[in-house]
Amino acid sequence: MRELTYAKAINEALRQNMQADDRVILMGEDIGPYGGIFQVTAGLYQEFGPERVIDTPISEAAFVGAAVGAALTGLRPVVEVMFIDFTTVCMDMIVNQMAKIRYMFGGQAKVPVVLRTNIGAGRGAAAQHSQSFHAFFVHIPGLFVVLPSTPYDAKGLMNTAIKSENPVIFVEHKKLYNEKGEVPEEQYFLPFGKAEIKRPGGDVTVVATSAMVLRSLRAAEELSKEGIDVEVVDPRTLNPLDKETILESVRKTGRLVVADEGPFTCGVASDIAAIAASEAIEYLRAPVMKVCSPDTPVPFSPSLEKDYIPDERDVIEVVKKIMEY
Amino acid sequence: MATEVVVPVLGLTVEKGTILKWLKKEGDRVEKGEPLFEVEADKVTTQVEAPATGILKKILVPEGVEVPILTVVAIITDEGEELPEKYRTSTEAFQAPSVSAGEERRVTEVARAEERKEVRAVPAARRLAKEKGVDLNLVKGTGPDGLILVKDVEQAAAEVETRPRASSVAKRLAEREGISLEAIKGTGPRGRVMKADVVAALKGREETPTAEEPFGKVIPMSTMRKVIAKRMSESAFTAPHIYFFTDVAMDKLLELRKTILEDFEKEFGLRPSVNDFIIKAVALTIRDFPFFNASLVGEEIHIHPEINIGLAVALPDGLIVPAIPKADKLGIGEIAKMRKDLVERARSGKLKIEEIERGTFTVSSLAQYDITFFTAILNPPQSGILTIGKTRTELALQDGVIHTYNVATFGLSVDHRIIDGAMAADFLQTLKRKLENPVLAFLHL
Repeated sequence: MRELTYAKAINEALRQNMQADDRVILMGEDIGPYGGIFQVTAGLYQEFGPERVIDTPISEAAFVGAAVGAALTGLRPVVEVMFIDFTTVCMDMIVNQMAKIRYMFGGQAKVPVVLRTNIGAGRGAAAQHSQSFHAFFVHIPGLFVVLPSTPYDAKGLMNTAIKSENPVIFVEHKKLYNEKGEVPEEQYFLPFGKAEIKRPGGDVTVVATSAMVLRSLRAAEELSKEGIDVEVVDPRTLNPLDKETILESVRKTGRLVVADEGPFTCGVASDIAAIAASEAIEYLRAPVMKVCSPDTPVPFSPSLEKDYIPDERDVIEVVKKIMEY
Repeated sequence: MATEVVVPVLGLTVEKGTILKWLKKEGDRVEKGEPLFEVEADKVTTQVEAPATGILKKILVPEGVEVPILTVVAIITDEGEELPEKYRTSTEAFQAPSVSAGEERRVTEVARAEERKEVRAVPAARRLAKEKGVDLNLVKGTGPDGLILVKDVEQAAAEVETRPRASSVAKRLAEREGISLEAIKGTGPRGRVMKADVVAALKGREETPTAEEPFGKVIPMSTMRKVIAKRMSESAFTAPHIYFFTDVAMDKLLELRKTILEDFEKEFGLRPSVNDFIIKAVALTIRDFPFFNASLVGEEIHIHPEINIGLAVALPDGLIVPAIPKADKLGIGEIAKMRKDLVERARSGKLKIEEIERGTFTVSSLAQYDITFFTAILNPPQSGILTIGKTRTELALQDGVIHTYNVATFGLSVDHRIIDGAMAADFLQTLKRKLENPVLAFLHL
């Protein structure tokens, strides 16, 4: 099968949906002729014109609010917020409008909007352009939160997101945009709330999100040389979360590591650890461990940033520790 | 009101006891004075009575666990009374007893034992232990800080499974006869070893002494073996022993025993043994030689107030020395009765600690074996031990005539720090005279 990069896979999903459905429009900063900061919308302006690929002023609150309005009136906007860091500027639009309207109107209005954004450090983009606070949105009932880790998942989940009648926060990862993988040409849909076992194993479960999936797979490869058999589970969507697949894996291996690039405290990893403690405690052979970013701003200094990012070495270290039990 | 059940003080030198068996279950009603559990310390099993009447609400220390004496091992409450809060969380962490000021040292020990005994296990190990019926208290953890891991429980469970299952009657019989259950093939359900199997194995043992290969293996010492090893080496390496032997003509003693046998049996319901007479004669001799009833304590010689004669009893895997108290003041009938009872209870492991600890002098007889004479190591802290060989027939020349007579060689080991050679010789000679002229010796009875 042909291979596409993660960015191209999303691009293809957007194109195919725009071709199939006139209601699908794109909004965002520099997504038009420039093609978006990570080139995810490259070529779409040329193909669909300025009416459907709208370059917006630098005002997230305004264009995210406009997208909510457009969705309410029947369009299916896909809006890009250049970095997740900038969602703080439009948090009222997301949290109090996008997530609440359908509920508050008793289901009489719906907001089928997709908000694309990205997380991740590692591009020397400093503390305001490198954060990974996707957990914020998992905390807001009314939002689907999707974190694809591969080109295949990115396209399949984007198709499902655009078809969704409810708002979706579609969280991409800066360091994944250039990762390649097999992607079918046709449209296909990956269900929300269905985790995938990216690598089966019997000794320890690593539940990993976004770029941590790739890093955990590399770690698993290394660890297999030492005879440690790691199972990597990718939840793919954090809301809804596929607890059953996670718990089934934990019951099988008895050991759980959760790898998520968000800060260590109060994150996605903490909650998945809590699920294991609540619902599979009797199967745990060892303490549950987390691999996350430190509880500090992302440093600008390249050497500090390298150290800050949780990577395969951190996963290997923690897995080895947990295997002592 | 809740009453704490503790492991009682079992003797002056006893520091710890192992809970062998709970005779009541949690929730059972118990009467004050009723046997509640069995505890083993040194070589002896003691039944501990319930200190109060009520409900055995909580057993804090399971069977098989060794705890310092005075450890609270169970709680008795009134009927309908809730278990007091402080015991609820402490199934595994034992309670420290309330003790007087002089016993802080012991309290620290108990506290340390509590730390040691608190079971730390990963949750999956706890679940597995529950499923497999493994007592986590008995599992050694190999994880970080001694944490019990799943593999530790798996190993313990595997050991339990390979251990032969046996009926309780079979277990008791095998224990009494000193035969290993592992060597017996069970014919009961699922290979369970039944009494008949043990009986068959015992028969087989008489024909072929060892069913299993006795060489090329490592045997962990039993508690009794350890105690014997410790006490014997302590005695051999601290008390300088000297040995004395003399031949004792046994005819008159045997004659005396024979004469009184029938009447004695009628009156006391049992037959006197030669040993009963020897015990009596030894006790009477000690009256004239107080140093043979003494112990060395630091730089003092302590002469004990009572003459309590210990009798070495061989067991399948060791030996034990219960003592007859004030033997110098007892009649042969009383000595015989007491001897019979003590020997029986020694063999069934039912002696009380004080019955062993009270001995002040020991008699050890191998008269049933074809042993002419032998030496013995002192039973510490005693100062003397008497050994008796087989009574044999020899020829003697008396007034120019050769005749046969019965003779036994007696040996005496003494602690040279307390007793010198001349005194020892005098003691042995006096004893010999008493035994060779028993009517006179036992006149004051």
